Amino acid sequence: MLAISLVLLLVQVVVLNRICLFGMAVPFAFIYIILRLPLTMSKEWLFTIAFTIGLTVDVFSDTGGINTIGCLSIAALRRPILHLYFPREDELTDPFPSIHSLGMLTYFKYTLSITAIFCIIVFLLEDLSFFRIWHLVECILTSTILTTALLIGIDSLTLPRHEKRL
Amino acid sequence: MNTLLYFLLKARPWILFAAYTIIGCVLLFNSNPYQQSIYLTSANSFSTQVYNAANGVTSYFNLRNINEDLQRRNRDLELEVLSLKQQLVDFRDMEYAISHPVDSVLQRYDFVLAHVINNSVHRPRNYITIQKGSLDGIRPDMGVVDQNGIVGKINVVGPHSARIISLLNDNFRVSCKIKKTNSVGSLVWKHSDYTEAIIEEIPRHATYAKGDTIITSGYSTSFPEGIPVGVVVGEMKDHDDNYLTLRVKLFTDFSKLSTVRVIVDNMADELKALENESSKTENPDTNL
Repeated sequence: MLAISLVLLLVQVVVLNRICLFGMAVPFAFIYIILRLPLTMSKEWLFTIAFTIGLTVDVFSDTGGINTIGCLSIAALRRPILHLYFPREDELTDPFPSIHSLGMLTYFKYTLSITAIFCIIVFLLEDLSFFRIWHLVECILTSTILTTALLIGIDSLTLPRHEKRL
Repeated sequence: MNTLLYFLLKARPWILFAAYTIIGCVLLFNSNPYQQSIYLTSANSFSTQVYNAANGVTSYFNLRNINEDLQRRNRDLELEVLSLKQQLVDFRDMEYAISHPVDSVLQRYDFVLAHVINNSVHRPRNYITIQKGSLDGIRPDMGVVDQNGIVGKINVVGPHSARIISLLNDNFRVSCKIKKTNSVGSLVWKHSDYTEAIIEEIPRHATYAKGDTIITSGYSTSFPEGIPVGVVVGEMKDHDDNYLTLRVKLFTDFSKLSTVRVIVDNMADELKALENESSKTENPDTNL
């Protein structure tokens, strides 16, 4: 998990931060780390990890505290959102949320909601003046779609190794 | 008392959450980019190392375009050298050059070459990181150009790295003029795409044509006069009737920045001291 996190952070700051498809869609792969943290983890640790990850990305990309606030928000909203789509939480055998433990549809809804919240927060904070409201909406929608697709891709890549461990 | 302790114990994660969020907000709304600590910008030593390593790979990707730009610039410079040579001959004939010997020691500007190791173009406030710092003679507020034109201004400086406040940033403003008519305005970027900026506060009576070249005016110590900026592509509707606002297509391709030159002005200290002195004599009260 630590190795995946470090690789994701590195890929984010070195490669993905420079990508901006059609001038609006930005892929945020590093939030996969927060999505994947075990549900049994205490809130103190969850918030500390989210803060560290957000601050690292902020320092590297000179964005002030935008990603930090985004990461903290999704860390706080992660559990309530998952509860919305998967009420029988105690039936989970595996504390790590993934396609394998939740099923494709639930995992898709979980990822989409969290990505949407993250993108809304990041783009709103980045463009506080709102003077190009349509551009803002386009940015949020396209980035959400791109990031969700990317996160599901990453999760299916890590799946086989996970099954081997079982 | 017990209830309070119990409450604090139970709310502990959320107190932590609030503290982290407040730190994030402080970082975000600390809007003056010149007051930031170097550790919280991309010019710190760790991120510089990471970006240096990545740049070792990616700097090869744009070589073809950079080569073309350099060839073009080279051609322009060669033409200029030819015309200057011609002028020199003319002047020598007039015995002008003899009475005014050219001395290279008196040259005002110097350049420091630096590689761009991090750059962004799609944010409202973009910054660029380079791998030269105070040990190479770089100081805050120095101007930065590349082979095509103006790039930005040095902002935060570390020993081996520096952050440039890009032209593509709300906080950047530079005095420019239309080359043909010498009408002066202020160049800013308004979150549009990275190929275009606007030039504000040009007097309404100034004339211009599409395709006119915009150059720096030389009214600051950061940029000498005559650095190419871009060409006029049209006029923008503005609320203020006294001034013209023109759209400018930039010469510099910010998506492909690779090697930049930092302009060192040997007269900057002298000019600043002079300005301080004159402002002191104008306001004698401040001396009391």
